[in-house]
Amino acid sequence: MENKTSLKIRNLVKYFHEPETFQVLKGVSFEVKKGEFLSIVGKSGSGKSTLLYVLSTMDTDYEGTLQINGDLLTGKTQNQLAAFRNEHIGFVFQFHYLLPEFSCLQNVMLPALKLGKYSTKEIEHKAYESLRLLDIEGQALKSANKLSGGQQQRVAIARALINNPSIIMTDEPTGNLDSKNTEAVLDIFRGLAKENGQTIICVTHDKDFANNTDRTIEMADGLII
Amino acid sequence: MAKSVNIQIASVHLTSKFWQTFVAIMGVTFGVSMYIFMNSFMNGVNKTQDDLAFSALSHIRIYNQDNNHSYNPIESEYDNSQTVFNIHNRKSIQYTSGIKNSYGIVSLVEKQEEVVAVARQINFSVFFRSGSKKINGRVSGIELEQEDKLFKSSEIVTQGNWNNLQTHKSGIIIGKLLAEDLGLQVNSSINVLTSDGVSRNYIIVGIFESSLKDIDKTKAYLNITAARQLIGENSDYASDILINIKDRDNTVPVVKKLGLLIPFQIESWQEANEQLVAGASLRNVIAIAVSFTILLVAGFGIYNIMNMTINEKIKEIAILKATGFSGKDIKSIFLSQAGAIGLLGGFLGVILGYLISLLINQIPFNVASLETLPIYFRVQDFVLAVVFGVLTTLIAGYLPSRKAAKVDPVTIIRG
Repeated sequence: MENKTSLKIRNLVKYFHEPETFQVLKGVSFEVKKGEFLSIVGKSGSGKSTLLYVLSTMDTDYEGTLQINGDLLTGKTQNQLAAFRNEHIGFVFQFHYLLPEFSCLQNVMLPALKLGKYSTKEIEHKAYESLRLLDIEGQALKSANKLSGGQQQRVAIARALINNPSIIMTDEPTGNLDSKNTEAVLDIFRGLAKENGQTIICVTHDKDFANNTDRTIEMADGLII
Repeated sequence: MAKSVNIQIASVHLTSKFWQTFVAIMGVTFGVSMYIFMNSFMNGVNKTQDDLAFSALSHIRIYNQDNNHSYNPIESEYDNSQTVFNIHNRKSIQYTSGIKNSYGIVSLVEKQEEVVAVARQINFSVFFRSGSKKINGRVSGIELEQEDKLFKSSEIVTQGNWNNLQTHKSGIIIGKLLAEDLGLQVNSSINVLTSDGVSRNYIIVGIFESSLKDIDKTKAYLNITAARQLIGENSDYASDILINIKDRDNTVPVVKKLGLLIPFQIESWQEANEQLVAGASLRNVIAIAVSFTILLVAGFGIYNIMNMTINEKIKEIAILKATGFSGKDIKSIFLSQAGAIGLLGGFLGVILGYLISLLINQIPFNVASLETLPIYFRVQDFVLAVVFGVLTTLIAGYLPSRKAAKVDPVTIIRG
C-alpha cells in the first residue's frame, strides 16, 4: 500500500502567453505515493500554483504527461476530467471559494450530490461528519457568505473531503487560519493520509506547515530544486 | 441524481435574486398575455365580421348567369377569307337566366353529407311605390323555413311575424328604413313595380331590421310562390340556390364535387367576397406581428438578465467546475433557469391575458350589432402563446448558458 503510486508527472512544461510568452514550468517530473502528505514550497512566481492547477486537471494547456491512480489524464476531454475531479480529487482554493447563496451544509454536499453515489440522507450525514471534523458544525445551516474567512476556509476543506477523494489538493490551505486552527488542519490532513491512505498535496508559503509534512518539494523558476 | 442537483442549484439562483427573476418572468408574462389578448381580440373582430357577413351570405351559391357569348357567326363562317364584312349595332339575344328545374338540383345538393341547409331564392330589382313616392329596391322571393335555417331571418323581424308570409298570399316583409322612407307601417299596403312593368299591391305583414343599413333601406321579402307569380315564372323556378355547409372554411372540395353534378355556376363565399378573406388574414398578420415583437423584446430582456447573472456568478461557475460539474451540467443549470422563467411567465401570462381580454370585453362599443369590444377565445391561442413564450426564453437563455459552460475555472480561480 505504501508503495503504490498515486500521482506521477513526467516532464511538465507550461507556457503563459499573456502578456508575453513565458515558460512557467520547465520540465517538472515527480511521483507521489499513495497516502503521502506532500508540500510544495517556493517563492511567488516559482510556478508552484501553476503546477498545482495542472495536477488538479483543471489546466489542460501543458506539455508532458499526468497520471493519477494509474490513469493517463493528459488528452482527456473537459467533461471526462470534470467527472474524474468530482470523484477522485478534493480541492481547496487559496481564497476559500464557497457558493455564497448556499448554506455551508449545501456547499459541502454539492460535490457528493453531483457524484450521486449515495442518497441525500447519507450525504447529509457525511457532510455533518466532515463539518464536525473541522469543528464548524455549528455554522452548518448558515449561508456561506455570513461566515468569517477562517470559517469559510474550514468549510471549503470539509467540502474537499466529502467524496473521499484519493487526492486532496490545497493552495495555501491555512492562509486564513490562526495557529490553533492551522494545527488542527495539519492534524486532520496527517490523519487522512495515515488512516485513509489519501494523498495530500499542499502548496504553501508557511515553512512551519511544510516542515510538518512527509516530504517537501521546493520550486524556483519553474524547476524543482 | 445529478440532474436534480442541477435543478436544485438553478432554483437557488432563481430564488436568491428575487427581483431579477421577477422582472424576467414579467417580461414573458407580458409577451404571452399580449399574444393571447391580441389574438382573442382579432378572433373576436373576425368572428363579428363573419357573423355580420353570413347574416346575408351563404357559404355556397348556385346560379345561372347569362354569359356574354363571344360567338360571332360571321367571323366563324368567313374565317381567313378575303370577304369584307361589316356589322352595325350588334345585339345579344336574351338567353334564359335563372334555374328552371330547381327542385332536381336541390335534391341533388341535399344528398351531399357536408350540406347543412339549402334554400332557393328569386332575386330581382323593383320599384317600391307608396302614394307618389317611388324607391328603387330589391325583392327576394324566399322559402320561409329554409331561409330561416340559413340566415335566422325570423330573428331580425322586429314588427309582425316572419311566418305571416306563409299565411298571407299577398303579404310582404320590408326593411325598416324602407318602411320609414315610404311612411308605411305593418298592415299598410305597398305597390311593387317590376322591370317588366308588372305592378301589384301587397300588404306589409312584417318589418325587419338587420345589421346592414343598405339592406334595411332597399330589401323586401316575398314568399317564393308569390315572387314566381310576380315575374311570371314556372313553379320550379329559382334564381339562386344557397347552400350552407358544416365547415364554411372548407368550401373548395364541396364546390368541386357539386361542379361535376350541376351545370350552373357554383361560387363559394371566399370567391364572391375576397375582401372578407383578405381582411381576416391581414388582421391575423397584424396580431401575430405585434405579439411576436413583444415576445422578441421579452426575449432580449431575458438574454440580458441571463448574461448579467452569468457574469455575476462566474466565480461560482468556476467552483462548480472545479468540484466536478461538467460544462453540460452548467449549461443545464442555466437553461433550466430560463425554462423555469419561461414556464412561470407563460402560466402567469395565460392568466393575465385571459383577464385583460375579459376586461376589454367589458368596454362598451355600440356600433352595428356590437355592444362591447368583441373577444373570442380559442384554445390553440393559449397553447401557442405558452409554447412561444417558453421557446423564446429557451433561445434567449441558450447563448448565455453556452458561454457559462465554456468558463475556464483556472483563469477565474487564479484571479
